[in-house]
Amino acid sequence: MATVWIIGVGMTKFGKHPDRTATDLGIEAVLEAIADAGLDPGRIEAAYCGHVFQGMVTGQRILAQTGLAGIPLTNVEDACSSGAVAIREAALSIRAGEHDVVLALGVEHLTGRFRGALAPDESDVEAAVGLTMPALYAMRARRHMAEFGTTREQLARVSVKNKRNASLNPMAQFQKPVTVEEVLASRPIADPLNLLDCSPVSDGAAAVLLCSDRVVAQVGRTRAVQLAAAALATGAVEAPPGSMAREELTARTARRAYEQAGVGPEDVDFAEVHDCFSIAEILRVEGLGLWAPGDYPAALERGEADLGGRRPINPSGGLLGKGHPLGATGVAQVVELVRQLRGEAGVRQLADVTVGLAHCRGGKAAGVEGAACTVLIAVA
Amino acid sequence: MTTPVFLRPELFEVDAAGRAVLVGSRCEACGASFFPRRAVCARCRSARVATVPLGTRGTLYTYTTVHQSTPEFPTPYVLAYVDLPEGVRLLAQLVARPGEVRIGMPVELRVEPVREADDGRSVLGYRAYPVEEVTHGDGVDHRRRHDEVRQAP
Repeated sequence: MATVWIIGVGMTKFGKHPDRTATDLGIEAVLEAIADAGLDPGRIEAAYCGHVFQGMVTGQRILAQTGLAGIPLTNVEDACSSGAVAIREAALSIRAGEHDVVLALGVEHLTGRFRGALAPDESDVEAAVGLTMPALYAMRARRHMAEFGTTREQLARVSVKNKRNASLNPMAQFQKPVTVEEVLASRPIADPLNLLDCSPVSDGAAAVLLCSDRVVAQVGRTRAVQLAAAALATGAVEAPPGSMAREELTARTARRAYEQAGVGPEDVDFAEVHDCFSIAEILRVEGLGLWAPGDYPAALERGEADLGGRRPINPSGGLLGKGHPLGATGVAQVVELVRQLRGEAGVRQLADVTVGLAHCRGGKAAGVEGAACTVLIAVA
Repeated sequence: MTTPVFLRPELFEVDAAGRAVLVGSRCEACGASFFPRRAVCARCRSARVATVPLGTRGTLYTYTTVHQSTPEFPTPYVLAYVDLPEGVRLLAQLVARPGEVRIGMPVELRVEPVREADDGRSVLGYRAYPVEEVTHGDGVDHRRRHDEVRQAP
């Protein structure tokens, strides 16, 4: 199978940008990715744009202002996995031999768009009885606590770690660490989850430039990172339903990604995982096989997932610390993988990393475990 | 009687006695049950799928008290996933005080008005209620409905 390379990355600062638009943020990220690659933008042959709530032809508005108008572009929606799915589509088009240089971007502008909690689409039968995303994860947290003895303080430690990492990332929405006590004292959202257990409303954009073997041979491999796997799966209908403390969907997606990359969970040096809520990081890393089911909360207490630990999780700050502009999230995860693998991550640089994994999981539909899940693996 | 307005029409049917009941699907090929109902069995892909009434008694699988929601849902309220004996897990609002809710407790599903539609008619939805287990050791089912227990002096 043809190898796909990442040769340029860019992202805006994540946070509240009330005076900017999704287009504006997208332009900034795309221009940075092109400059980072040092490639003539005229060589970009196609683009994929992930977003959730930005409306029709969002990607085209960005291309029109970045000198890229005219090339084929596909807008992609898969809830919180949208950006990662855009990367996967871009990679597939290169693997298929259709294109040599492809742009994948993700954008979202959410400030002022929502009141209250994010919920599934209003057509969903679970939304009709009052399901919100925090409520879903709160109920999953309660199952993890019941099945594995996970404590409220252990949940809080995820937020504490990720906000500490974010304080070392100038692109992150949150720049100040928090304590376990502050998480426990924050406003209740859906018990046992409080405000500081939840990812924030964010605006932002991120972009990556992918290319084929042929092009990487011309531009040089010094700063190129290999995209060794890009797996996507959708939630299955479980009859009878399985444990909500487990992530069968994540495990199934990860198996495919590990197979594509020819690595196993033991080879993963660090990961960016979809920590939309504190409990979510626990569910993700256990689903990915990075820790055994029920083992991660104690590993967190031992510092194993810290920047200096044996397998850092969410060094960028994750969704909890860096922010969660839905469509941009999956792309920004890959920006972090590339910066860490190149040794360009500044004060949060990890030592001796060669294999990084990015995991996204988006959406909810009644009767299925989850809507969309992606696992991408990058190798230095 | 006016035509009822259902929360979601696909979740209900009116039985021979004129009562609205929650319905799901049962695969006639492999026996798997589903909620909401579906056109094809998700386990064996058979299209021989029948619409069947759901059981009204189940076990509380997990729950949360929601303190922040979308604008149309006043808070707080309790949400719970309920496991029904036929192998279906369904989400419902639970009418109970947070302190008295626990995983594994028996609950009963009731089809009832949950709000008013724009035209003033009531919208039929469903909610779950705790069922009190009363043990007398005499082999008789003494389970009472939660609201009867609550109203006791």
